[in-house]
Amino acid sequence: MNTASPSLESLSSFHRFQELAHAENVVFYYTGYFTQTMVTAMGEALRQRISYVDASNVTRRRLFSVFVELAQNVVHYSAEALSDVKMTDHEIRRGALWIGEKEGRFYVVCANPVLRESVERIRQKLEPLRVMSVDEIKNQYKEKLRTENEATSKGAGLGFLTVARDASAPIEFDFVDEFGSNNPTTLFYLKATI
Amino acid sequence: MNNLYIPATSATPEISFQFDTHQLSLRGESYPENATAFYGPVVDAVRTYLTGLNGATITLDVQLAYFNSSSTKILLELFDTFNQAAVAGNYVTLNWHHDPDDDTILEFGQEIADDCPSLTIQTLELA
Repeated sequence: MNTASPSLESLSSFHRFQELAHAENVVFYYTGYFTQTMVTAMGEALRQRISYVDASNVTRRRLFSVFVELAQNVVHYSAEALSDVKMTDHEIRRGALWIGEKEGRFYVVCANPVLRESVERIRQKLEPLRVMSVDEIKNQYKEKLRTENEATSKGAGLGFLTVARDASAPIEFDFVDEFGSNNPTTLFYLKATI
Repeated sequence: MNNLYIPATSATPEISFQFDTHQLSLRGESYPENATAFYGPVVDAVRTYLTGLNGATITLDVQLAYFNSSSTKILLELFDTFNQAAVAGNYVTLNWHHDPDDDTILEFGQEIADDCPSLTIQTLELA
């Protein structure tokens, strides 16, 4: 029998997805709309999950910190919002977040649509962080802590610096078209290894 | 003025500011979606409390398990408000409680010490 019914076919694609997640050691995956309530619930689940793994408190704290910064980045800045784009509280925006483990290290990958016109600005923020030493990152963090917020920032403008500070390797990022090159948005990926 | 009490949630700390006895404490997690919306009214209440206060001995206990990036600037602003009250003739002690493993929280305590030289800051390791 190789004429699977439509429902079994859909289960088999779910199974392939599960197998891939297992092979890649995915601890946690979420895709869809992000809200603060979701971030808090995922955060609590993540804390419980990592309380069972063999990791230092420092690693656990850094993983949690990177998770919160990236998840809240989707809530605030994803280009696809269900909430009114002018809102700064109770925002609902689309993205995906993946926490995995590779060679004994955790990593967090986050994806969300961004406007094509923002790509250059994001790139200019992230490229320098990739080549900075831990001390340089900490010094820039201290400077930024005491400067006025940028117009585009809804927080302290310290999110990417915090992620870079808590990562043990240079952060990685990419922009990949989701709906073709004529669409006003493109998908922004950011990965941090703890 | 009335004391300020805000119970903790998963993402926001317990705030217990007993203005009548000058015993203030802030404990828990801090990663609200919008830190300005959460801390704005707290900073306003503290400014009202400190207005005209002179020669008071104020103790502020801070025990944060975690705070996100958007909480940092507004927390620094809150502590700066207390620093100004110390400059104006009050005695403010900040007890900064931190996990011995947590260098980030300890380093933030040092940032506060740099910015707020009139506060008496005690860093206390949690058991």
